[in-house]
Amino acid sequence: MSLITVRNLSIYAGDTCLLRPINFTLGKGERLTILGQTGSGKSLLAQAIMGNLPKGLRTEGEVLVFHETSSPANRRKLWGRQMSLLPQEPWNALDPLMAAKAQLAETFRWVKGDSQASSREKADYTLELQGLGDSRHKRVDQLSGGMAQRVAIACAMAGGAPLLLADEPTKGLDVNRRDQVVNQLVSQAEAGALITITHDVAVARQTGGRLMVIKSGELIEEGNAEQILLNPEASFTKALIAADPQSWPAQENKARPDTPLLLETHSLTIGRGKTPLAQGLSLSIRKGEVIGVVGDSGCGKSTLGDTLLGVQPAFAGTLTRHLKTLPHRWQKLYQDPTAAVSHAVTLDTLLNDTLRRHRIDKARVKPLMERLGLASSLMARRADSVSGGELQRFCLLRTLLLDPVFLFADEPTSRLDPITAQSVSQLLVDVARETDCAVMLVSHDPHLIEKRCDRVIRM
Amino acid sequence: MKTNISVSRLAGIVLLVLLCLYAYTAPLFTEQDATTQNLSQILASPDGSHWFGTDHFGRDMWVRLADALRLSLSLAALCVLTSAGIGVCLGVIAATGPSWIDRLLDGITTMIMALPGLVLVLIFAAIVPGSFWMLYVAISLVQWIEYFRVTRAVVHRVARSPEVQSSRLMGFGALYLFRRHYWPAIAPQLVTLASFGAAGAILMMASLGFVYVGIQPPLAELGLMIVEHFPYYEDAPWLLAQPLIALALVVLSCQLLGGRKEV
Repeated sequence: MSLITVRNLSIYAGDTCLLRPINFTLGKGERLTILGQTGSGKSLLAQAIMGNLPKGLRTEGEVLVFHETSSPANRRKLWGRQMSLLPQEPWNALDPLMAAKAQLAETFRWVKGDSQASSREKADYTLELQGLGDSRHKRVDQLSGGMAQRVAIACAMAGGAPLLLADEPTKGLDVNRRDQVVNQLVSQAEAGALITITHDVAVARQTGGRLMVIKSGELIEEGNAEQILLNPEASFTKALIAADPQSWPAQENKARPDTPLLLETHSLTIGRGKTPLAQGLSLSIRKGEVIGVVGDSGCGKSTLGDTLLGVQPAFAGTLTRHLKTLPHRWQKLYQDPTAAVSHAVTLDTLLNDTLRRHRIDKARVKPLMERLGLASSLMARRADSVSGGELQRFCLLRTLLLDPVFLFADEPTSRLDPITAQSVSQLLVDVARETDCAVMLVSHDPHLIEKRCDRVIRM
Repeated sequence: MKTNISVSRLAGIVLLVLLCLYAYTAPLFTEQDATTQNLSQILASPDGSHWFGTDHFGRDMWVRLADALRLSLSLAALCVLTSAGIGVCLGVIAATGPSWIDRLLDGITTMIMALPGLVLVLIFAAIVPGSFWMLYVAISLVQWIEYFRVTRAVVHRVARSPEVQSSRLMGFGALYLFRRHYWPAIAPQLVTLASFGAAGAILMMASLGFVYVGIQPPLAELGLMIVEHFPYYEDAPWLLAQPLIALALVVLSCQLLGGRKEV
């Protein structure tokens, strides 16, 4: 029996087609993953199925839920009980003032229609089952991203809807949390059907079931997830899979233990404000080394960088710079490039500011820009009108012009789509090796670290 | 620069330009002056020689109104420039400097804010009645607080952002940080604050004139004119209406100018 059938569903904004006709049928216990890059129209598909497309967009084709054709307005009546959407970034979808248990109990009480006592009991039981028993009285801001996502999943499932849509359920989660969330989604959906929308190949791999690959509103490839991921036919699918850090070609270890020491710390205690985050850090960094830093969010990775760069004082311990250089040769790359440059002037102005400040030869810019794949036409724009990948490469350009000896890269690719992330991280490591600059690369993805770094620090 | 100025803002600009034009060029078009009394022709209605009529001493209203407007607009401009300058500078210092400066400035502003602004201006104005410069000092003293608080809040946030940390790491100095990071963040708010501040300054001056502590006769000042013309509202309603309308138009133009940007 099919839970949902989608026939020739397409989405238009005026006369422009945002999503070309899509067909699929999902029965009980089936899973479908829709894979595509940001801006490919996959979230629109989820909204079209739910029936809450933004105004100004219209759909063609039909959506059948339980063999019945239904208009978008009718589908709203099915929300919660028959079909349910797990929104992006669940911490924005949960009530910030309510404890986890109270929110969940409320869903049982008012969506499913349980009695007050039984809904409380069920909320307790569900949270216990999710391993959130100790956190039942915490508010969203006190939960980690993964925990909040699990609460949101529990809420989305509480109404007993057999059809669950998950829109980028793992966005912003680190790998362990991501695996937990995907596992939970899959096990929750055993009795119903699950549609997952993601840009993460690893999620598609874990979810299994059927897979549709979408590129700019067009269906590229469709079939069994395992098969497609093993033997992709379309070149776009190949590129997407190749961009997953797990599939990156392994790098030969280029560690050179003989280069001179650059930086040494001895039983360093770091922290923010008055809270110490990590203690007893003793590490040494050599010239030209590429070091990976991994650890759960909130364990002090960024603080370590700030301390090593001298932006933040250490709580205890010693930090010795063995190379006496100008301070501006100790640099940092930021997680969110748009937050790391001024939006007030064009990139060209920012670049010239840097050149003038340090009397850098203008002739060095062009070859480096070519190396980084930055078109000169970009430079006339401002930071807010170029893409994240371009901006991160611009930041890298500015940094490299300063001849850095040490570069702390704080999740420099986590906000970029996989294909861009691959090229940016490759460039970063390559250029650093060429210029003998030590790099500390922070990432929540162990595969990325493994493929890019000489050695790894676990925090 | 983005050129998508909202209709209301454009209306504010046009109105303000027209008012300035009138205030600064009106005396050029007529041979009348602001102080010559003509007691045989008092409370005359507008005609060919006196375009806006005459007041209770037979003085020409076209020129007097322009004089009063000029005074108000100059005061507003001076007050805005001074208080914005002081407020922005101190705000940046408080947000980026050592914490004792921040606490000190915060204490001072809290003390000034504890007093009603108009009362403070009144006290100052009472020290040297009728002095334009005393009014200017007093109003600026009250108004810089707003600029200070907004600047401090905005810069406090920006100064701890990655973009400023990045620029610092690249070796840029305080002036550069101000020019590229702080100023672009403050400037949009400043336009709004300045327009409302200008309206506030004009109203304060008029209020003081109205209670005879501000500018003294025979100088023309909007508040003073309102109170002087008040006894004649039955005989010459247009006379009282003129400074009132002028005041309303100036304040309206400022409010339109500072109004919320339409998205």
